[in-house]
Amino acid sequence: MIFVIAEHKDKKLKPITSELLVFAQRLSRDFSRPVTAVVLGAGVEALAGELKAKKIDRVIVADHPDLAEYTPDSYVGVLKSIIEQEKPFVVLVGHTTQGMDFAPRLAVSMRHPLIAGCVEYEKRVDRLILTRQVFNAKMNMKTAVRGEPPYFATASPGAFPADEVESGANAEVVKIAVQPVAPRRKLLELTGVQKGKADLSSAPIIVSGGRGLKQKENFSLIFELAEAIGGSVGASRPVVDAEWLPREYQVGSSGQTVSPKLYIAVGISGAIQHLVGMQTARCIVAINKDAEAPIFKVAHYGIVDDLFKVVPALTKILKELKTG
Amino acid sequence: MKPVPDPASRLVINEAKTWIKDKDLTFVASEADNYALEEALRLKEKHEGEVVVISMGGEEAARVLRSGLAMGADRAIHLLDPKFKGADEFAAAATLSKAIDKDGGADLVLAGVQSDDLGTGMTGTMMAEFLQWAHATVVVGVEAGADGKTLKVRRELEGGINETVEVPAPAVLTIQFGINQPRYASLKGIMAAKKKEFKVWSAADLGLAGDAVGQAGAMYEVKEILVPEKKSKVEILGGTPDEAAATLVERLRREAKVI
Repeated sequence: MIFVIAEHKDKKLKPITSELLVFAQRLSRDFSRPVTAVVLGAGVEALAGELKAKKIDRVIVADHPDLAEYTPDSYVGVLKSIIEQEKPFVVLVGHTTQGMDFAPRLAVSMRHPLIAGCVEYEKRVDRLILTRQVFNAKMNMKTAVRGEPPYFATASPGAFPADEVESGANAEVVKIAVQPVAPRRKLLELTGVQKGKADLSSAPIIVSGGRGLKQKENFSLIFELAEAIGGSVGASRPVVDAEWLPREYQVGSSGQTVSPKLYIAVGISGAIQHLVGMQTARCIVAINKDAEAPIFKVAHYGIVDDLFKVVPALTKILKELKTG
Repeated sequence: MKPVPDPASRLVINEAKTWIKDKDLTFVASEADNYALEEALRLKEKHEGEVVVISMGGEEAARVLRSGLAMGADRAIHLLDPKFKGADEFAAAATLSKAIDKDGGADLVLAGVQSDDLGTGMTGTMMAEFLQWAHATVVVGVEAGADGKTLKVRRELEGGINETVEVPAPAVLTIQFGINQPRYASLKGIMAAKKKEFKVWSAADLGLAGDAVGQAGAMYEVKEILVPEKKSKVEILGGTPDEAAATLVERLRREAKVI
């Protein structure tokens, strides 16, 4: 049996859940094992209904008022009891701020392996080989888990295409009674970044700058290019950390997820956290002097050269086009 | 604090394809760990107490610990034993938490959110389970509660959302990049570091059997390290900067039709 731990927010399944289902459906084919989705929460019938329409075998629902808010203690406790009873082969969790908050604890509490940040897998004889990224996504590491199942794995966001999830015929829904423990950690408050002028989610063209710009003052190059091309300005995490620009400009897993028709990455190496926030853009341009930078792997057009020469040249041509 | 190859180094995969050639590399503290240490030092400045740096590994770990002492940590624990080599996150977390136990526990363990080599961000959280403490990951703000027994911690979630949680001490926090501006060691700090306590413990000192640590204690086996194939069909536009810029505008207008 392959377990998918559904991740949801505001009564909606998060995109990572579909990605996990794709991962599970592929594993199911290769290892001939059924798929069970597990959803924890309070008042989650609708989510169970959505899950059972996918091509899976079963949905386990743990519905309890104390599960209304995620806490690592309640998730670890409830999941551990379900896993001990059901004895799945693999347990798939999202490599997200929630998944990575409880999966390591869960794996240690059961003394079973966890391979985190998986991007692909293969079957060697009957063994499961999981591949994950290491050294800031510059290299991949193939790992073989030791010991008996269950094996825990978290899947990197974006590694499995959510739109390839297969629909099926009415999976069985099993409601189980659970008694979550009183959590040690308590949620006090949620705060959001104010969406000001840098709301990039609907911007058709985005020009983003990264650490390659070297200093705050040089960001004017990005603003000038954005103006010439009629786009909005974005930034990578290091730029925001260095306080060159406010947090609201940040594109990536901890900032905004964008999907413009054109994304120009200037001086951005392309850490995985950045790539997951922009890789669905229709056309990606990378300008970077390091030909090995991971950003070129997702780019459609690349210029390997000094951005301080390329960007002004590009801005000049675009301005000329506008005026003449 | 985890020693990792200096980010400027060129990484070459070893003959067995199980790791990188690390013999001649310079090691530094993993970037996120510097933010964790800085946060610890700031908490000490505000609330008093003691900051202990701990690291596992060979001479490279000793070097990282010395730089931590120079930044202002009060003392260091070096987990040194050939048996520790090849540890995965599980074995590392088991060993580190045992050492914290042996040292008499702590009020707070701060770890970097993820390392620059394995980068999975799970060792700190695993330590919390071994220690049976509460924890919080991806922390961007720490405040001690008025009662002195709890902490108010801000976690960074996806999509620019933060959540504030209350965590009872003792706890493990994994510290996000950019939470603060780590200080540099002063010359005075470097001199003072030489006089600070520096413990060295082996697996036997921790009461851990050889098969519980290092590669033997790991939950998975590394089959192969490889540079992923480039799947993308990126078209690199050559020529002078002016020519490349002109070609790009042409491609964006005529081929991609996005401007």
